[in-house]
Amino acid sequence: MSLGHYLLLGAGLFVIGLFGALTRRNVIGILMSIELMFNAANINLAACNSYLHPAGVAGMTLAIFVITVAAAEVVVGLALVLAVYRNSATAYVEDFSLLKG
Amino acid sequence: MLQHVYLIPLIPLAASLLILLGAKEDPRSPMPFLGIAATGWCLLQSIAIFYGAATGELSLPYGADWNWFSFGATAGGKPFLYDMPVGVLIDGSAAVMLVVVTLVSFLVQVYSLSYMRGDPRFKRYYAYLSFFTASMLGLVVSSNLLVTFSCWELVGFSSYLLIGFWFERPEPPYAAKKAFITTKLGDLGLYLALMLIFCQVGSFQIPQIREFVARGFMPAAVATAIGLGILCGAAGKSAQFPLFIWLPDAMEGPTPVSALIHAATMVAAGIYLVAKCYFIFAISPVAMETVAWIGAITALLAATMAVVSYDIKRVLAFSTVSQLGFMMCALGSWGFSAGLFHLTTHAAFKALLFLCAGSVIHAVHTNDMRQMGNLDKKMPITFFATLVGTFAIAGIPGFSGFFSKDMILERVFEHDPRLFVILAISACLTAFYMFRLVFMTFLGQERDLDRYLHAHESPWPMTVPLFVLMALAAFSGWLLDRGEIFTRLVNFQALPGIAPAHEAAHAPAYLTWYVTAFVFFAIYLAFRLYGGSNFREAESIKRRCAPVFNLLERRYYLDDIFLALVGLSDRAARLAFWIDSEVVDRFFVDGWGLLMLALARLCHLFDDNLIDRSVDATGGLSVSLGGTLRWIVRRGLVQEYLLWSAAVMSVLTLLTLPAQRYCLGASVGLGLLAILTLLLVRRPR
Amino acid sequence: MNILSLITFLPLAGALLVLGLPKESKRAVQIVALLSSGLTLVLSVGLYFLFDRHTSSMQFVERLPWIPSIGVQYFLGVDGLSYPLVLLTALMSFVSLVASLNIVNRVKEYFFWFLILEVGMLGVFVSLDLVLFYVFWEITLVPMYFLIGIWGGPKKEYAAIKFFLYTLTGSVFMLLGILAVYFKSDPHTFDLLVLLQAHPDWSARFQILIFLAFYLGFAVKVPAFPFHTWLPLAHVEAPTAVSVVLAAVLLKMGVYGIMRVSYGMLPLGFQWFLPFLVIIAVINIVYGALCAMAQTDMKKMVAYSSINHMGYCLLGIAGLTVTGFSGAMLQMINHGLITGMLFILVGVIYDRAHTRDINAFGGLAAKVPLYAGLMSLACFASLGLPGLAGFVSELLCFLGAFARWKVYTAISVIGILTTAAFFLRMIEKVFLGPLNPKWDKLTDLDAREVCALLPLVILTILLGIYPKPALDLMNATVLHMASLLK
Repeated sequence: MSLGHYLLLGAGLFVIGLFGALTRRNVIGILMSIELMFNAANINLAACNSYLHPAGVAGMTLAIFVITVAAAEVVVGLALVLAVYRNSATAYVEDFSLLKG
Repeated sequence: MLQHVYLIPLIPLAASLLILLGAKEDPRSPMPFLGIAATGWCLLQSIAIFYGAATGELSLPYGADWNWFSFGATAGGKPFLYDMPVGVLIDGSAAVMLVVVTLVSFLVQVYSLSYMRGDPRFKRYYAYLSFFTASMLGLVVSSNLLVTFSCWELVGFSSYLLIGFWFERPEPPYAAKKAFITTKLGDLGLYLALMLIFCQVGSFQIPQIREFVARGFMPAAVATAIGLGILCGAAGKSAQFPLFIWLPDAMEGPTPVSALIHAATMVAAGIYLVAKCYFIFAISPVAMETVAWIGAITALLAATMAVVSYDIKRVLAFSTVSQLGFMMCALGSWGFSAGLFHLTTHAAFKALLFLCAGSVIHAVHTNDMRQMGNLDKKMPITFFATLVGTFAIAGIPGFSGFFSKDMILERVFEHDPRLFVILAISACLTAFYMFRLVFMTFLGQERDLDRYLHAHESPWPMTVPLFVLMALAAFSGWLLDRGEIFTRLVNFQALPGIAPAHEAAHAPAYLTWYVTAFVFFAIYLAFRLYGGSNFREAESIKRRCAPVFNLLERRYYLDDIFLALVGLSDRAARLAFWIDSEVVDRFFVDGWGLLMLALARLCHLFDDNLIDRSVDATGGLSVSLGGTLRWIVRRGLVQEYLLWSAAVMSVLTLLTLPAQRYCLGASVGLGLLAILTLLLVRRPR
Repeated sequence: MNILSLITFLPLAGALLVLGLPKESKRAVQIVALLSSGLTLVLSVGLYFLFDRHTSSMQFVERLPWIPSIGVQYFLGVDGLSYPLVLLTALMSFVSLVASLNIVNRVKEYFFWFLILEVGMLGVFVSLDLVLFYVFWEITLVPMYFLIGIWGGPKKEYAAIKFFLYTLTGSVFMLLGILAVYFKSDPHTFDLLVLLQAHPDWSARFQILIFLAFYLGFAVKVPAFPFHTWLPLAHVEAPTAVSVVLAAVLLKMGVYGIMRVSYGMLPLGFQWFLPFLVIIAVINIVYGALCAMAQTDMKKMVAYSSINHMGYCLLGIAGLTVTGFSGAMLQMINHGLITGMLFILVGVIYDRAHTRDINAFGGLAAKVPLYAGLMSLACFASLGLPGLAGFVSELLCFLGAFARWKVYTAISVIGILTTAAFFLRMIEKVFLGPLNPKWDKLTDLDAREVCALLPLVILTILLGIYPKPALDLMNATVLHMASLLK
């Protein structure tokens, strides 16, 4: 397997995630899709690290950072979703148009 | 005894503070006895010193110095620390002055026990008196001219307090202020003289200054300047021409105060100061002549003014001024001992006369002699005392004034016969107005029955001092002249190389008797004019010579000049303030501010119209741009925002791709476009 | 032991503490303010016993780098010139705080600003680095501005603005001067002690120019004619305690600056300016006294008398003699004490009668004897009665000036007479004569006022009779300063 395969896998995952984020109506679904995109990035990072700079650890470290940040982001995101749900009893994004100018 | 002489001013000071701070105000307060005791102690000490000096047991002068404070000074271009000493210097004249001051102060305090009894500020009166005594004694004993000057100012201050003692009335405060300011005017000269002395000698110590002068280091011109400065100060304090205007007004104070301060002691301070600095005058003939002439002019002017006054205290005040003129003239004519001799005798008889006047005023409650008369039976002791005092001041042979005045006249005749003539006339006038006072007050007929019936002899605290002073007024001249005690004790040690005086003439022996004859004639004249029950003759003379009398009653218009000067300074003050507020502040400062303000306005206009407008325009541009962009995402859906950012990101990514990968890029772009379409067609739920 | 830092910044600690207290607890605010200021005073007085009177070098020195890249240091120290002023500042601040215990309006802010003001004033006198000096100098402006602008009289805003702008204008020139000497010195430094040694290398032209720049800054503070017109206004509008510190301490900063910076650092410029300085001094004395005489507002009269008294300081300095310098330094202390007393006393009558017009009163001595007595004492001290503090310092100023300027000194003694005239007139009109029935209910001094006044009264009498303690502090420094005259 070459680097290209990994990158292709990453791109695929990313596109799926993006598609999900853009099309899912449920907020939970969107969050999950975003998670997918993070992981796509992680795959790219890990692959690049091991193929291009096998001695270094920067890519791995970055990936771990991303995982941590993603976890935190999910926590905040879910909390927000819960707060929103309590207020408006809905989890569909079309109903959240408060930012409309 | 002498080593503790510094206590003499300090004990009355302590007493004063104790009285002032130590007790509540109470008309029956026992605190006055503290003051009397303190002064009494000083009196005993002073008499002991005087006695010791007179018998030769104590060798004078005695001096002792302590360090007061140190400050930087320069000598010959080299800075060093100058230790300002404070010390005592007792010479013959100081010994005499000590006795004079403590004695009169003691008697006046005893006298005041009765005179001031029941006054709401009885205690404070004694505190002030003790304070005055302390500062006057400090002035006498100090060896340092600066300390002397300090005490000099402090006696002026206590005089201010005591003249204005009855401050609820409008006149005393005014008189107090006038006295302070007028003497302060003279003090400016003294202040400058002190500076000149320090500048020249580098010390305020009298022995050192004397040494400096004696060695001939001081140029005559500088001595003249210093002498005139000192004379200025002395003229203020000793009420010499033209600064004597404050003394008649100072009679607003309680009469015992007048006796102490404005007759016997404080006004003599000027004479004493000139005597203390006599060695400076000795090398400056100009200063000496000025002293003599100022004295003579004062003696004559004041005597003439006394002739027309009806206020018993004012007559005595003018007479004090005139007698001080005699002393000054004597000093200026090289009659050092004569001047101080007259100072001593004058203190006794003038204090006596004032206390008598106080007794009379206490009895009849008026100062106006026209409302008195025929009091001799009602107040025999007072009458007798006044008579003795009058005999003394008029120079009736045998009484104290005779000896001292005789000494002065002789001395002055030898110095300059013109001065002698002036003084002789003044002496005759003295006899005239004093007997006029006696006749108007005690003889003739009562002119105000109410007051006459009310009159009574004063109680013992007031009469006992009269007896003591009577004895002194009668005999002190003879006592002190006997064996020339006084001249031996109080004389001026001539400086080496300075001739004491040029003698214009030699006084003939019969001179005294000539003058005495004229004096008797003046007394006769007074009897003719004022001896009867009415003063018809006197009044007619007054009518005939109205302009002269007017001039005298207006005090030679010197008061008016003083008032004009005050008005002038007021106007100067107003002008200065006008300049300050209108020119300096309004024109320059505020003007500068206004100028800046105008500049600021200009800047503001520029800023508003040019700079700010362009800033606003930038803002407006962004606002309208934002408005346009907002139309795209008008539905407010999160996913729409995400979509647009994804689209923009992809486009940007595409742009960064190298050319050979356009194929891949194009496929990704197509995929994205597909998604976009999918989304755009999708309708919201 | 960083005792100078402690003295300088104790009030700051107090101020921060005051800031942390709730607004309502006025009593606590007052106690904290009094405690911090009182501790400062205690420490300053403690320094009195540690102070070496025989050396002219700086004592209790503290030196730390502050902005090393341009050589700015945190450099503190006192000598005989500045230590008495530190003592005066600590004392007058404490006294003023006691006197302002009757403030009811916005207590917390008042005491906060007051303590900050104290920090600034103390800092000016202890700092030996020009930048530090300038910083402290400017720090005093801000609290002063608020203290006048918030707690002042009817025209307070105008007075505050005028004060601020006027002094700021002056100090901007001073800043220019500081920068000029910085760039002229080699190596560049703000260290005052180094700069004091640097002048032999500087041309007369440069020194004169820089002297003028510094002089503008200092003259406004002194205030020297014609830069004095902010003073009467600020005094009249300021609350009592602020007037007290303004007259007692802030004016001294100007004279201190002239003596410390201008004289020591720029001797050629100073000597060039001398003839002008003496004329300015005479104008200050005579003209200030005349202006005071024209006043009917007691506070304004005292304010103008301050101008007159600062003229004595300038005259002493202009004499360029050791004696004159001693006089000027002593006069700063004495004027602080006496004028502080006068302002407190004027404030007392204003609190009760709500007027300061001399003609509105009459005969008060019978009604309020203690007040009348203390006021008279203060007036007589101010007009230079021997035995009270003003006399000795005036005399030394005159003696110092007389050696060089006989005629000018002779003219300026007129100021003494005029001072006597207006103070006596004030006493006569307010206290003597028949009692004005309108003031029948007037009450005498209360405990707070007596507490504020008592230390000043005692010191005024003490320094008048025995000025040795104060002069001994200064002598070594003055002699050293005189040795620069060559």
